[in-house]
Amino acid sequence: MPSGEPLLRADHLTKQYGNVVALNDVSFSIQGGITGILGENGAGKSTAIKIFLGLIRATSGSVTVLGEEVSEGVGMRARLGYMPEHDCLPTQVSAAEFLTHMAEVSGLPPSTARTRAADTLRHTGLFEERYRAIGGYSTGMKQRVKLGQALVHDPAFVFLDEPTAGLDPLGREEMLTLVRKTHREFGISVLFSSHLMADVERTCDRIIVLQGGRLVQSGEVGHFTKETATVFIEVDSNRDRLTAALEQRGVVVTLDGGGLTILGPDESVYDHIRDALVEAEAPLRRMAPRRRALAELFERDGGTA
Amino acid sequence: MSAKPPALLTAPTGTVFDIGYQNYTGVREGRGRARRAVFKNGLRIALGLGRGGRAKALPWFFIGLLSSIGLVMALMAGAAERLAGPGATERLNLPTHSDFYGIASTILFVFAALVGPELLCRDRREGTIHLYLVRPLTGSAYVVSRWLAFFTIMVGATWLPQIILLLGLSMGDPAPTAYLRTHWLDIPRFLLAGIAMAAYATTLSMLTASFTTRRAYASVFLVGLFLISAPFTMGMSQEIGGMAGQWISMFSLTNIPVHVNDLIFGEVSEITEDAPARLLPKAVLLGWYFVWTLVPASLLWWRYRRMKP
Repeated sequence: MPSGEPLLRADHLTKQYGNVVALNDVSFSIQGGITGILGENGAGKSTAIKIFLGLIRATSGSVTVLGEEVSEGVGMRARLGYMPEHDCLPTQVSAAEFLTHMAEVSGLPPSTARTRAADTLRHTGLFEERYRAIGGYSTGMKQRVKLGQALVHDPAFVFLDEPTAGLDPLGREEMLTLVRKTHREFGISVLFSSHLMADVERTCDRIIVLQGGRLVQSGEVGHFTKETATVFIEVDSNRDRLTAALEQRGVVVTLDGGGLTILGPDESVYDHIRDALVEAEAPLRRMAPRRRALAELFERDGGTA
Repeated sequence: MSAKPPALLTAPTGTVFDIGYQNYTGVREGRGRARRAVFKNGLRIALGLGRGGRAKALPWFFIGLLSSIGLVMALMAGAAERLAGPGATERLNLPTHSDFYGIASTILFVFAALVGPELLCRDRREGTIHLYLVRPLTGSAYVVSRWLAFFTIMVGATWLPQIILLLGLSMGDPAPTAYLRTHWLDIPRFLLAGIAMAAYATTLSMLTASFTTRRAYASVFLVGLFLISAPFTMGMSQEIGGMAGQWISMFSLTNIPVHVNDLIFGEVSEITEDAPARLLPKAVLLGWYFVWTLVPASLLWWRYRRMKP
C-alpha cells in the first residue's frame, strides 16, 4: 500500500436493496488507528462493512481498502479481519482448534497457524480455556473467540461489528480494553461499529456517524466528546442553594429529575462544583460524567432518531 | 534444629519474559492454503476427529460395517476355497468384487445421507460460513473443498472393503500370486466403480444439505429417497412394462451407480438383475449416471457461488 494512502476510502458509495436505500452517497476515508462507525440499527453500518470486505457490491461508488479496489478479488482479505455481530462459532470444537483452522484458511502454514492461535488466545485471555469446546463458553468468552479469529492471521485492518453486543458491564469493559489493545499493542487498525456512543467515545480516535444510510458527521473523537459531555450531580439536600452557588460562578445548570446537569463542562468546572458544594453545604451523593444519548446527537443534526 | 532447605529450591532458576504481541512477517500462502484448510477440516468433521464421541460414532460405525461386509465375503470365499477346493468361489457363484457395491449400496447411501450433510449444514446453522466467506476463499471454492473432503471419505469407505476382500481372496487361494495375476483387472475396476459410487452419493448428499441448515432434515429426506425409490420404481416398472417400464426403473436412485458398476465389470449385480433398466443401451445408463451426478454438482456449485453472508 502506498505510504500516506488511507487504509480505506469510500467514494460516493450507494447501496440499494430494491427500493430501500441502505447507503446513500457516502464518502469518507479512514487512516490508521481506531475508527468508530456509529449509527442506530438500520443506519447502514453492517452494509458498509460488507461492502468494505467485498461481500456485496455497491450499487454505485467505489471503495479501496489497503490501497486495492475491493471488487478486484478476494486475495486482499488475507490482510483483513472481521468479527461479525451475530453468532458464528462452531460449538463442538475447541478454541485452539478453531483459531488454528481459521489462521490456515487465512493462508498461514499449519505449524505457524498453531503457534499464532495459541498466542492470540493468550492475548485475548482464553489461554487457560483453549482446549474446551466453544459450546461451553460464556457469552464473553465467545466474543473473545470471535475477536481472536479476526486477529489470528495478524491482519493490517480489522472490522469489528458490535463487539460488545450481549455483554454485561464487566465483559463490555474487558472487550473495549481488548479493542484498544488491538491497535495500541498489536498495531492493527480497527474499524469499530457500534450503536453505543459511550463505547465508541471511550475506544476510538475518530468517529463516523451514519443515520438512515447517510453520513451525518465524521471527525476526531475529542470533537464529539466536547460537544456531548455533561456532568450529572445528585445531592441529599440543599439542591436549590447549590444551583444558586453554581450560577453565581457562571456555571450553566439545568434541573434533571432529582439532580442537576451541567452541559459541556471543561476542566475548571469541577473546581467550581467543589466550591459550590462547600458553600451550599450540600452533601454530595453522586457526581458522574455523562454523554448525550446518540438520539440527541442525531436530533441536533436534523435527524429523526 | 531446623534443616536448611536445599539450595536448588531457594536459588532463582530463571525469569519469564513476556515478549508481547509479535506481528507475523512470514509467508502467506493465500487461496490454495485456504482451500486445503477447508478440505482438511472437512475430513475431520466427516470422521468426527477433534470432536466428542457422538460425532465419531456414526462415521466409524458405517466404515466398520462396510469393512465387515468385505471381511465376511473374504472369509466366505476363503472357507469355500479350503472346503470345496480351488476355484470354489467362482463355481459356487459366491459374491466377489463385482457384487460388493450392489450388496453394500444401500449402506453406502445411508452413510452418505447421515454423515455428508454435516459438512455443510453445521457451518450455515452456526454462522461459521460467514467467517469463511470473509477470508481469501469464495463460496464456490468452499463448497468444492467440502465436496472433495467428503468424496475422499466416501472413496475410502468404498475401497477399503474391496481391498480387504482382495486380500482375503488372494490369501485364501492356495497360490496368492497366481490369483492376483489372474484377477488383477478387478483392481482398477473396483477402484473406478468405487469412484463412481462415491461421486454420486457425495453429490446428492451435498446438494440436499445445501437446502437446509439441519442435518437431520437432509438425512431423513435422503434416506427416504434412497429407500423408497427402489421398491417404488421396481413395482411401477414391472406393472407398466416395456420401454416405459425400463425408463421408470431408471429412477431407482440406488441402482443408478450400480448400473455403472455393472458396465465396468461387464457383469450384472444381484441388485440390478431384476431392474428393467439394465436392458437399456450402455450409453443411456452411463449418460443417466452423469446426469444425476453432474447436474446436482453444478447446482450445488451455483448455489454456493451466489452465497453471501
